[in-house]
Amino acid sequence: MTKDWNALNIDLSSGTVERETLSCEYVRRFIGGRGLGAALIAPYATEGVDPLDGSVPLVLAAGPLTAAGIPSGDRFSLSTISPLTGTVMDTNSGGRLGRSLRRAGSDLMIISGVSADPVVLVVEDDEVRLEGALDLWGCTVSETILRLTERWGKTAGMSVIGPAGENGVRYASIMTERMRAMGRGGAGAVMGSKNLKAMVVIGSGKVPVHDKERLKVVLEESNRWLRAHPVTSKALPALGTPMLVKICTRAGIFPLRNFQSVAVGEDQAYTGEELAKRFTVSSSGCTGCYIQCGRVTEAEGSRGEGPEYESLWALGPDLGIEDLAKIIPAAHRCNELGMDTISAGGTLACAMELAQRDVRPSTVRFGEAGSIMKVLEDIAYRRGEGDEMAEGSLIMARNAGAQEYAMQVKGMELPGYDPRGAQGQGLAYATSNRGGCHLRGGYLIAREILGIPKKVHGTQVLGKGGHVARAQDFGAVADSLSVCRFATFALAPEYWSRMLHAVTGWELGGEDLIRTGERIITLERILNLEMGVGPDSDRLPPRFTNEPLTEGACTGEVVHLDDLLAEYYAHREWPGGIPSENKIKELGLDE
Amino acid sequence: MNKEGESFKRLIEEFSRVGRVLFTGGLNNSHSGNLSVRLGDRVVITRRGAMLGELSADDLVDVGLIEDDSGIALASTEVKVHRAVFAATSHLAIVHTHPRTATALSMGRDFLVPVDDEGRYYFKRIPVLAVRASIGSDDLERELPAMLKDYPIVMVRGHGAFAVGGNLEEGLQITHALEWSCDILLRCLALGMTEEDLMDDRTHGEW
Ligand code: SF4
Repeated sequence: MTKDWNALNIDLSSGTVERETLSCEYVRRFIGGRGLGAALIAPYATEGVDPLDGSVPLVLAAGPLTAAGIPSGDRFSLSTISPLTGTVMDTNSGGRLGRSLRRAGSDLMIISGVSADPVVLVVEDDEVRLEGALDLWGCTVSETILRLTERWGKTAGMSVIGPAGENGVRYASIMTERMRAMGRGGAGAVMGSKNLKAMVVIGSGKVPVHDKERLKVVLEESNRWLRAHPVTSKALPALGTPMLVKICTRAGIFPLRNFQSVAVGEDQAYTGEELAKRFTVSSSGCTGCYIQCGRVTEAEGSRGEGPEYESLWALGPDLGIEDLAKIIPAAHRCNELGMDTISAGGTLACAMELAQRDVRPSTVRFGEAGSIMKVLEDIAYRRGEGDEMAEGSLIMARNAGAQEYAMQVKGMELPGYDPRGAQGQGLAYATSNRGGCHLRGGYLIAREILGIPKKVHGTQVLGKGGHVARAQDFGAVADSLSVCRFATFALAPEYWSRMLHAVTGWELGGEDLIRTGERIITLERILNLEMGVGPDSDRLPPRFTNEPLTEGACTGEVVHLDDLLAEYYAHREWPGGIPSENKIKELGLDE
Repeated sequence: MNKEGESFKRLIEEFSRVGRVLFTGGLNNSHSGNLSVRLGDRVVITRRGAMLGELSADDLVDVGLIEDDSGIALASTEVKVHRAVFAATSHLAIVHTHPRTATALSMGRDFLVPVDDEGRYYFKRIPVLAVRASIGSDDLERELPAMLKDYPIVMVRGHGAFAVGGNLEEGLQITHALEWSCDILLRCLALGMTEEDLMDDRTHGEW
């Protein structure tokens, strides 16, 4: 099947909608989702660009497998330029929006301009229109979803922003339906800057499948693997991502108090097991997913989704708070306000360390949970100290003349894995195209801690350049197919290649997919270079390279970043961190 | 390559552990087979004539991924095949062995298709590559990389197996799984079961 892709070009300034066709050959070079998003953002990636002035579009793209009945495969991507990092960014989510869009006959939306008043973008099969949203402006995420659901019913796909997005918090997220977050990088602020409160999509058609019989065989095989793998069949459904608390603690990489130390011992009060036992109401997850890694939790009268491992850590132990009953409502509140939990927590942790060192006064202190809820609110509404915190940890710390205490890369706050015990993860943070991110870095934790697909030693340096590159490439493939990273734990590239062939007819083998992932990563790198984000920013906070860990399984370790980078650049053929002419040509990015 | 330091120590540990298991598991004889990993634009490979069961730091040599340098004089005879595979794929490790049962079965087949469940889990089928010269040859250098783009392990008829992966242990695992599956297949045939019986529900062979 050589289906061309249907794009909706929506200009919020004029309220006009145009339809465009992207040739199948063009789409296939980037797969869809994140890859296609990067290709379409390319013309806007120029030095000095301000993603919040309306000049940069939001590209919402489904993947070629979206809505085709693939396990954990109903995701969609949103690409733009990050107001937090100034890099190209993508973020993705499960939920019905991507699936509904394809069922409505379109594969992507390019949303540009700024609406004069708040609006909701509505796509109802063939019909696309903007509806006034003055009454929704100021509403929290669940209030917005509730009101939209009353009007459009439970089956409509919906993505919305909360107050953080409206107020330009640089790490505002976009929330999809029951609290699935498009978190990192601040896409919510870009949406808010366009006065776009929500997107509602209703699609009643079907997505064509090239070879249904073949797809059935491939899915049977794939499901056997998903049902056999202990992570996808047991750990994630039972404990969700907080299963990682104990595992990372044992590995000596669970950070405490803005990465000043790591947890040791076995008796933490904030493990995934404790969360499951005491606070979990039910499991939950994205539509069409067998794993259902999410959980609904309740504590102190607050009921909602999460916290994920990252949120639990960022709003808990990284702030010196160990009581799950306090952590859970904070995570729920971030979702309600439409705000990335990792960046919010990382910024608070930085403020706490600056206060601890008498560098900058703050209303928040390590271990004091009492003020957290109010400060989160202040960030979302940009009040008082929250206004500066809404800029992120790097700007806040830089203003105080103490940038080294911001645990970030390229301005994005780091997630909860100390890289001193996971050297590949350190390299991954440093080289992630959207900044200090576990997922876009390649999630080396899978290899270094979980042993997926095979264990590589966490403190080993030699060889990590290739591991990071390959993991990043495969990650870019997953994000471009718009399938969940967790499913890739159990299913190697060959499985996705066969699914892709069955659904679209595209003949791309497993290694062809990896090569396409390399094309996407390299394109993103080139776009970052064009915006002035170069090899100088492939750095970690000095804490990780200069201060050895003093406790736990990785005592004495620092990150050997220069050695790691040298091997990584050599592996990628990016001398000095810049893709070589030869590599650019080989990947067909010179056209 | 700096052979001092913790990181190199871990690398040689990995090589010797995998080499030892391959030898004791009967997948190589005393001086056959070779192992390599890619490190950036370098390839670390076992020395020519090394005993995989007893590897030490002196048995590892590094050569450029593309360019020749003095390491090439010491490297395994198969070095150019290893380099070609690394250059054409994203794999990070290669395990080359001489498994007896798989080699025997490769003589008369174009594909080896496991009949045991574990083998079927790992591979749908394993292609057999027939080339005129199979040791350190231009034929292998030309043909093998393309096949290892689609399959994690390839049998070279009359010679042995080339397995790829993210690290040496992955290559070791699938090599063992292949030989095990071939051994089971051989036993089934020896017990009088026909290929047809065994092939009954194997739609996965076409997968
Ligand atoms: S594993 Fe979790 S995040 Fe992934 S698709 Fe399923 S529910 Fe969503």
